[in-house]
Amino acid sequence: MLRFLARRFLWFVITISTVMTVSFFLMHSVKGGPFDGERKLDPVIEANIKARYHLDWPLWRQYLQYVGPFNLDDQRALAAFDEEGGFSLWRSEGAEGEPTRAFGGVLTGDFGPSFRYKDFTVNDILEESLPISALLGVLSMMFAVALGVSAGIASALRPGSGIDLTLRIAATGGIALPNFVIASFLVILFVFLIPLLPVAGWGTIQHMLLPGFCLGLVFAAYIARLTRTGMLETLSADYIRTAHAKGLAPRTVVMRHALKGGLLPVVSYLGPATAGILTGSLVIEKIFFIPGTGSHFINAATNRDYTLAMGVTILFTVLVYTLNTVVDMAYTLLDPRIKLEDE
Amino acid sequence: MSDPNQTSRWSIDEAELARLTKEARQFKGESLWSDAWRRLRRNRTAFFALLFLAAFGVISLLAPFLPIPSPKAISLRDEPGTPEWFWSIPAAPTKAPDRGAATTRATRNLWNNGWRHRSTVIFAANDEGAAEEARARVAEVSARGAVLETYPAEEGAGLAVYASVPMLEGDAPEVDYGVTDIRGTATCWEVFTSGAEEATGAVHSLRLEGADGAAFDPARVSGWSVEARGRSIRLFLSRAEARPGLGDWVVAYRLSAELDSLPTAVLLDGTLLAGSAAVSWEGTPRGAQTVKAELLEGVEAMDLGRQVAASLATSPIDGVTYMEIRHEDGYWEFKGLVGAMDRALRRARIATFGLWQTGNWMGTDGQGRDLLARIVWGSRTSIIVGIIASLCSLLIGVLYGAFSGYMGGRIDNLMMRIVDVLYSIPFIFVVIFLITVVNEYRTELEDQFGIDREKIFFLVIGAIYWLTMARVVRGQVLSLKNTEFIEAARVIGASTTRILLSHVVPNVLSIVIVYLTLTIPAVMLFEAFLSFLGLGIEPPKVSWGLLAVDGTQAINPIKIYWWLVVFPAAAMGSTLLALNILGDGLRDALDPKLRGKN
Repeated sequence: MLRFLARRFLWFVITISTVMTVSFFLMHSVKGGPFDGERKLDPVIEANIKARYHLDWPLWRQYLQYVGPFNLDDQRALAAFDEEGGFSLWRSEGAEGEPTRAFGGVLTGDFGPSFRYKDFTVNDILEESLPISALLGVLSMMFAVALGVSAGIASALRPGSGIDLTLRIAATGGIALPNFVIASFLVILFVFLIPLLPVAGWGTIQHMLLPGFCLGLVFAAYIARLTRTGMLETLSADYIRTAHAKGLAPRTVVMRHALKGGLLPVVSYLGPATAGILTGSLVIEKIFFIPGTGSHFINAATNRDYTLAMGVTILFTVLVYTLNTVVDMAYTLLDPRIKLEDE
Repeated sequence: MSDPNQTSRWSIDEAELARLTKEARQFKGESLWSDAWRRLRRNRTAFFALLFLAAFGVISLLAPFLPIPSPKAISLRDEPGTPEWFWSIPAAPTKAPDRGAATTRATRNLWNNGWRHRSTVIFAANDEGAAEEARARVAEVSARGAVLETYPAEEGAGLAVYASVPMLEGDAPEVDYGVTDIRGTATCWEVFTSGAEEATGAVHSLRLEGADGAAFDPARVSGWSVEARGRSIRLFLSRAEARPGLGDWVVAYRLSAELDSLPTAVLLDGTLLAGSAAVSWEGTPRGAQTVKAELLEGVEAMDLGRQVAASLATSPIDGVTYMEIRHEDGYWEFKGLVGAMDRALRRARIATFGLWQTGNWMGTDGQGRDLLARIVWGSRTSIIVGIIASLCSLLIGVLYGAFSGYMGGRIDNLMMRIVDVLYSIPFIFVVIFLITVVNEYRTELEDQFGIDREKIFFLVIGAIYWLTMARVVRGQVLSLKNTEFIEAARVIGASTTRILLSHVVPNVLSIVIVYLTLTIPAVMLFEAFLSFLGLGIEPPKVSWGLLAVDGTQAINPIKIYWWLVVFPAAAMGSTLLALNILGDGLRDALDPKLRGKN
């Protein structure tokens, strides 16, 4: 297990540094820079802005400043000469008496200032929006698992029946239809024709129901398929026959014995599903005007707010990678027959 | 062995060989493909999906032929138009609005019911009779049915007459670029007046000669212009023989390098051309930058307007004056083969249907564009993305997977671990990031490499969908690697490339096809997704993602424009569903475990 984790971590480091480096240099290869507007800036102002965002530094230094871990900012440097001319490694106070921030950059979780929202750092924006997106994501994942697993069990218990057929058609439809189309239909249905829910916004539980459902539906469909296949396989296993033979109630057999084996494919699907939910949240947040990370990311991408776009990209990569690792570990814990790939 | 002439027991005589060959030819085993096809036909849903997709493809290919309204013709309405019954007779294509129905001179010509691929010849006429004669003349000259609109003239008595015909490619004045028989070089000089340090201007000096080597007469040049980026210069030459309605003859010079400074004056064989700044210089100019000038000639075809003008000049109609011609393009031009096919289809449409077109069967959007036409033309985007992106994923995935599986060992391990890592990156974020960066370079890419943004967009989509393909192919190759026939090929001494390309790849083809049919809906969905977010296809072009945006924006509490939601959703949903069903069906049909069973 430790070996597996160590390997995963190694690959993680390689992945993240590649993503970070490539996107950093791409971002800085863009001609002009993020502050070129229609109007030509006063040269003094332009120089000030460039200094503020360290764009006047050589590229390697900007990269080190962005990545960290050491804060290379002149004013609050990690190592600097003080007023008497002595050299000190750690300073508790900066030149103007500001507290020193010795560490900075992505490695310490600092994504730098946003290029568009002048008074915000990327961290401020993420702090504000990430809980919203996380809530939406968890909610839709709960929807997806609850709906998918129950539908999968229902159709696996009576394969070939009307219920099975209906659910399978619904699942195929759920996979084929994009979530923004489903969202449009549901909004028309539940907001305008039957006025039950608010159309957009965020805050109360009513606001969350529709987006959560729309976001989770595709994954519910996949999970239903996986559960059905897994359950069908498990239900025909010998130990289930034994369980039936020793007189256990059908309910117990299904819930206790069969479900454990039947849900294994679902567990391994949770990793990709997380990535999918993050992706889907881009669209759902746009439709329902939810101020989450996804909508910020899209705004950043269209407004050339590169630091914010990069911050979100890196953050989500870390998130998905971690979750994938956790899912893989959980999978081996649940199924002792399976060994981790690297052992 | 001792006697080479003695027949060994392995040798066969000619007749025996012929018999065996014949027997082998006659032996008909059931191939994987015919078996799969038989089973696919038996799978009713999958077969139906296949038929549906074929119909969908044909409709989308034949879009310019179908008598549907133009997908980009805007008409001024204050709200989306409701769907018309398809048996109701559509209104006349260029029906003029009622007089005084909130039209102005500027908006009047915008008002039509969608047929926009037309050329409109505008006349001034004295009365209705003369207008009718003018219409007949246009119809006669163009050999197409012409439709008449008349309005009272803005000033004085008389009528403004608009005679419209469906536009063909010869109607608009086309500038046909080709190398001329005029040759020359261009030199850009910085000009210094005596004593001054800074250059006071730049002179673009041309040295031109005609086909017979004679010097070019500068008096023929009536003006010149420099393109802002300094990549080309145009000269306006007066024609040797003047033609009615014809303007100047444009000669463009495409320069091999960007000019350092834009010229303020142009010298032709030592004479300053008209429109040049008054510059003076002494001696040889300093800092000369010589660029090669490729001379291009603009040849203007005898377009419809000129034909009509010429016809009126030879046999005038009493009370009719030719004013101008306007061309309104109703479709998107595709390049290359598709473009040629589209033009042919458009001709066929005009020959078959004339100006007749369907009504707005699926209603119109907020700008009065026909929804059915937009769905049909949007499907082209989906098909293009499906083809380009899945070919891209096919190429990368199969090569990567086959190589990894065939090499095995460490290389395989490393390559597959890279795939694992790529799997765990939320690629969409990286892709969106990439697309925004590419957006910054769109003009450069178009100018220098001729790649438009859309193509890159399609390629980027394809480049991220190869992972599953690589995994599947690799698994298949691993199991094939140790089979006898591969072993035999290796013993014969076939190279790795040969074994991979001619033995391994054909055998993984079936599984590749299955995954391809499952990749196509995924990339279509992804395109719609990115267009929905405003990062894909850009208006006024259309894709299903953009239609979905229109749909979500049309939802409001006051009035629900249901057709804007329902029809695009139905089109997208049914296509994706059919592709998914077909993919599943193919998987069952090509599954070797189920082979031979019913």
